[in-house]
Amino acid sequence: MPANVSGRAYALTALSPIREGWTSDGIAYADVVRDRLQGWNTEPNSPMTGVPNTYLCRFFVLDDVYHQSLPGAGVLDTLSDLLPVLPNALRKSVLPAEDHLKSRYLVFSSELHGGVDGDVDAYLRGMWGAIESRIREVWGWCHGFEQVTDGAGFAAYIRKCQLPAALFFNGSNDDPLAEQLKALYLKQEFTRFAVDSQGLDAATLRRRMAEFMQRVDPPNIAGPTWSPGRYRL
Amino acid sequence: MTKQLDLLDIQGNLVRAYGRFGYPLARYVFLAVHHPAAGRALVGDLTRYVTGSLDWGTDPGQMPRPDWTLNLAFTYPGLAQLGLPTASLMSFSPEFAAGMRERRDILGDTGSSAPQHWDPIWRKHRDTQDVHVFVSLNAVSPEALAKGYTKLQSIVETYGDGAQILGGNVGDDGELLDYQDAHALVENGQVVAKEHFGYTDGISDPVFEGMPPSAQSTKGRGKPMPGSTWAPLATGEFLLGHPDEAHEYPPGPKPGLLARNGSYLIYRKLHQNVGTFEAYLEQQGRAYPGGKELLAAKFAGRWRDNGAPLARAPDAASKQRFDAEFSAALKAGDMAKVDDLLSDFDYNQDMSGAKCPFSAHIRRCNPRGSLQMIHEPGDLPGSLKQSVDAFDTPGALSNRRRMLRRGLPYGQVKDRSRDDGNHGIVIMLVNADINRQFEFVQQQWMNYGNDFKAGNDKDILLGNHSEDPTQPSKAVLQTDPAGHDAPHFLPRIPRFVETRGGDYFFVPSLTALRMIAAGVIDPT
Repeated sequence: MPANVSGRAYALTALSPIREGWTSDGIAYADVVRDRLQGWNTEPNSPMTGVPNTYLCRFFVLDDVYHQSLPGAGVLDTLSDLLPVLPNALRKSVLPAEDHLKSRYLVFSSELHGGVDGDVDAYLRGMWGAIESRIREVWGWCHGFEQVTDGAGFAAYIRKCQLPAALFFNGSNDDPLAEQLKALYLKQEFTRFAVDSQGLDAATLRRRMAEFMQRVDPPNIAGPTWSPGRYRL
Repeated sequence: MTKQLDLLDIQGNLVRAYGRFGYPLARYVFLAVHHPAAGRALVGDLTRYVTGSLDWGTDPGQMPRPDWTLNLAFTYPGLAQLGLPTASLMSFSPEFAAGMRERRDILGDTGSSAPQHWDPIWRKHRDTQDVHVFVSLNAVSPEALAKGYTKLQSIVETYGDGAQILGGNVGDDGELLDYQDAHALVENGQVVAKEHFGYTDGISDPVFEGMPPSAQSTKGRGKPMPGSTWAPLATGEFLLGHPDEAHEYPPGPKPGLLARNGSYLIYRKLHQNVGTFEAYLEQQGRAYPGGKELLAAKFAGRWRDNGAPLARAPDAASKQRFDAEFSAALKAGDMAKVDDLLSDFDYNQDMSGAKCPFSAHIRRCNPRGSLQMIHEPGDLPGSLKQSVDAFDTPGALSNRRRMLRRGLPYGQVKDRSRDDGNHGIVIMLVNADINRQFEFVQQQWMNYGNDFKAGNDKDILLGNHSEDPTQPSKAVLQTDPAGHDAPHFLPRIPRFVETRGGDYFFVPSLTALRMIAAGVIDPT
């Protein structure tokens, strides 16, 4: 199984380093980014509902990696535990050194409908086209982002920041997103229709069903359908 | 059962519902402690009257049956006021510390169930006047209840302004009382186990390891095992300080002696909209094939008159057969048989909900091993069957969501066409973990339907049905997937039950009560 792919789902993971420095208010750029992302929670819907083909996505600011200080299971660690006669300097030298990230990062992970044949670049161009100003407000202080001027540039930039996702939660089946949205719409509409039609005589039911089918137009994936980000009918 | 519990140490209301043991009357009294030292001394005095869990009788290991029983419980502010050390207070569960009012969004106590509609005593609690101590009295007769209450009043009075009985419980005609009374309903001069909608209540209380010998059979009450057999649930699901179903000790307050043999109790006063219920049942019953009483049974999962479970008696014909067996057993005094008829069943032969709907109250509260359902390609459309490979035991998804039920109806229905009378149920639920047991069931199974493949649909009887006419609640009454009947929809279900107050309480063991009174709780 190639990385980033599970069925037709594609897991895009990008880490973009945020420049050190602070605003005129004395707030670090990374903290402003986090603040803006947390502000998205208070909006009626995430800006990402405007990005076609997005299943699940997540943003966060990564400050640093966690350090696990206890010795690992390497041979020298084990030996040094088992043989207390080893000199202390040797014991200390096998403890893992602390690793730190050189920057704070903006992490963007998105699960999109694409799969092996999927066009991630088209997705990213679509994202730029839909929410350019929101992209700028969170990526604006990232290293290298100053070169991004259009959708193609954004796609190339994100590809440079991309890390492979070996295992990920696939929150959807493999049907095209447009079909899933239509199915969701039909299910909601039909449930309401079934409840409202209970007890009707056969002739009336047949007539109402015909009207219903014409209105919801099942074979037409383009519409009417469920809009992304909608909670209920 | 081989496990032995220290029944003298465990408060009696944890192991038995007094209402089923000849105590048809209850009075729930709430105290505020104004001076910690006075409060501790008061707890010491009251503890001498606390009823334990021994069986009643004259055999060795039994105690004489009291005319009235007394049990004590505390809110988080109450324990703080009694001077428990901060480290002990912090070791109680966060939801207990927060209290039921703060958890209202999780519990669905919104709209007409929101705190602004609660009785004054509960509106003020966690705001301007906290409830600290809950004294629960149960009695065999009005005279016995009066005796118990007078005794309580006289003890509290000795503490002057150190402690007081709180008023603000709404009674008949809206007057405010110093207590919440509750009582078994009476029909034709007989005490019956019914509630105000007409359902027989209080059936199938859980059975756990170590319960006193008088406890009822595990069939239908314990945890479901393969082969439609039953075993008692682990003690630690209901009592702190004992291993639970995960073979761990449930998280509990520190020190260990504070937690051991204690539990958490959730008190909820639930108003019943009798008029709305009658009108909806009448209206929907007219359209329902099978008629009004079968429809009422579909709401609950049991027939109203005698509690016959739909899983055994899904239609009029099988109900008749059930009734014959049931009456014969009653007449013969064979209470074990009566019990089995009511409780010994599961949903293994009803995995598609044709007998007992997925949104029926008893199926939502206790799915009895039926949540492990699966539909595979090729199965009849709409049908579900048991998934035997996915889990260890049939009850894996529900064994840790059980609760003991205590409490009684309150008030009287004078006019069945109205909602605004004083009538409802005081329900008390006992569990070791408020969040895992009560709050989970309330949020996921009462007010939501995903685990039952029922989307957003709520428990028909108890759900906090939508008060927004543009987004009405509904339920589906399933039918046999192999048959030709269409499923029946219940449209625009109104809210039948509304919350009028309550909180989360801690019920200590007698050892812990004595230690609290002595001020020697020490978590270090």
